[in-house]
Amino acid sequence: MKEYLPILIVFIFVTGFAVTNIIASHLIGRRKNTRAKLMPYECGMDPVGSAHQRFSVKFYLVAMLFILFDIEAIFLVPWAVVFRELIQRLSRPFVFIEMMLFIGVLLVGYVYVWKKGLFEWNS
Amino acid sequence: MQLETLNLNYWAIAPEVIVSITAVVIMLIDAFSKRGAHRANATTAMIGLVLALISVATLGRVGVGSYFAGMVVIDPIRIFFSITILIVAILVVLLASQFLSDEGLPPGEFYSLIMFATSGMLLLASAGDLVTVFLGLEIASITTYVLAGYRRYDIRSNESSLKYFLLGSFSTAFLLYGMALTYGATRTTNLDGIRQAIASGQIIYPQLLMIGAAMMLVGFGFKIASAPFHLWTPDVYEGAPTIVTGFMGTGPKAAVFAAFLRVFVGSFDVPVEGFGLQLHNTWITAIAVIAILTMTVGNVIALSQKNIKRMLAYSSIAHAGYALVGFVTGNFATVAFYMLAYSIMNIGAFAVIQILARAGDQKTQIADYSGIGFEVPGLSFSLAVFLMGLAGIPPTAGFISKFFVFTNAWESVPALRYLVIAAVINSIISVYYYLYPIVVMFFRPLNPGFVRPRVTRTTALAIIPDSARHLLSGVDA
Repeated sequence: MKEYLPILIVFIFVTGFAVTNIIASHLIGRRKNTRAKLMPYECGMDPVGSAHQRFSVKFYLVAMLFILFDIEAIFLVPWAVVFRELIQRLSRPFVFIEMMLFIGVLLVGYVYVWKKGLFEWNS
Repeated sequence: MQLETLNLNYWAIAPEVIVSITAVVIMLIDAFSKRGAHRANATTAMIGLVLALISVATLGRVGVGSYFAGMVVIDPIRIFFSITILIVAILVVLLASQFLSDEGLPPGEFYSLIMFATSGMLLLASAGDLVTVFLGLEIASITTYVLAGYRRYDIRSNESSLKYFLLGSFSTAFLLYGMALTYGATRTTNLDGIRQAIASGQIIYPQLLMIGAAMMLVGFGFKIASAPFHLWTPDVYEGAPTIVTGFMGTGPKAAVFAAFLRVFVGSFDVPVEGFGLQLHNTWITAIAVIAILTMTVGNVIALSQKNIKRMLAYSSIAHAGYALVGFVTGNFATVAFYMLAYSIMNIGAFAVIQILARAGDQKTQIADYSGIGFEVPGLSFSLAVFLMGLAGIPPTAGFISKFFVFTNAWESVPALRYLVIAAVINSIISVYYYLYPIVVMFFRPLNPGFVRPRVTRTTALAIIPDSARHLLSGVDA
């Protein structure tokens, strides 16, 4: 298990760093508390009222679609990084067509959600 | 790594590719048609499945061996399980049209989800690598979670979907962690490579592999609904639309059994001196205990069920136990045949139940079946045949498949004969609750206000040959 020792050290270091920073700023930092500063942080809007309110399901749909197409980018980037190396080892059309197939499948998904009217916010 | 060493042969994954393309085509048809192109979707699905069946039949010509750098293999087990899965999918597509039109549910998503699930299950049956096992399992599982909640406005269907999703993801985490530990111990995810690593005795951390195997046992055990991990089954099976229950209880189960066999019997079963033997003995004992627990829990609880879907859920738990008996012999064929016979019986039973339950699954109590035997003789007779098959009564395939598994285990592993004895005792217990609905159907007075259910042509097309095949395969085998 010797190989894993550096990971343990990193764990300890990271935890120590975070804890030290918080304690240090708590001890030596200057504090001028105002009402606005003590408010819980909520992306710029006032956190007033119950969090259990209803809001449109469209937010979820957009978030879901974002994740789906985000995956596309996640797969594309490593492919693009090693593309030159890959075409030397494997054949050029193979590397290209494999990725185009992947994009094609995602494109079908895009067409599907489009035709199903997911982007029409007024309906 | 060169292109040649990858051994790319697209014919080796033709069934999976065909089914996936069909799913995508159905999605597009659905998106571009105005109001649910029911017939077009069903026809496309059917064409895709038949083409996939043909391509499975030609897999043998591609050649037995491993392809795509060992990710996918072609062997008799894959072909057999693929045929089982495709038969299940074809039956579900035939049965689905009545279900969807009766309930007014959107057809496009249903068919494409069934097709995606089928492609995942096919991939699972053809896996030659832990990565492929995981990929196939996830494709099959995620689509099934959605299908369980397909009756969107029904609270029970939602409950079923959510329970299945939460517990299923949890068990997948176990499986994945087990795979990671196995990789850590053997330095490979290839199933053949794992076998060789164990055979060579060059395992760096044997304990790691032991824990990995245990975790994978938990993951697979959950998916096939074996005893300590079966608690999700009754609720999920009861709440899901009946046709989906039939699908969940057969297709994915058979596919997971294929992968389970490959990983445990295929890779971990290397009784060489030292660690291999230790691992072998440990998992065989674990499987034996799980099998006995599974059969007993399934059968005993099924005895007291009033709802026929719940009863069949417990029965499917019990059947997973019987099939596990086949694991101890290291013989793939008996388990494969068992899963084929079980799938046909189970999906047939659920098909009849779906018709008798009517839209919204209103009549699923066994008491609702009172006296219908001579009122709707076709349906009642089919259900009786399927139930007798599940009980393992002689002229059916259910009997033959049980017979193969049990005799094989009895002869080849004398040390584990108690397992076979337990299985036979359990089969006898199960006869009671399988015969009870038959008695209710034929020998009880008819409920007043019984309305004959509608049976469409496609549904009849699925049920009649299914029951006939089920009877016949028992006779000639």
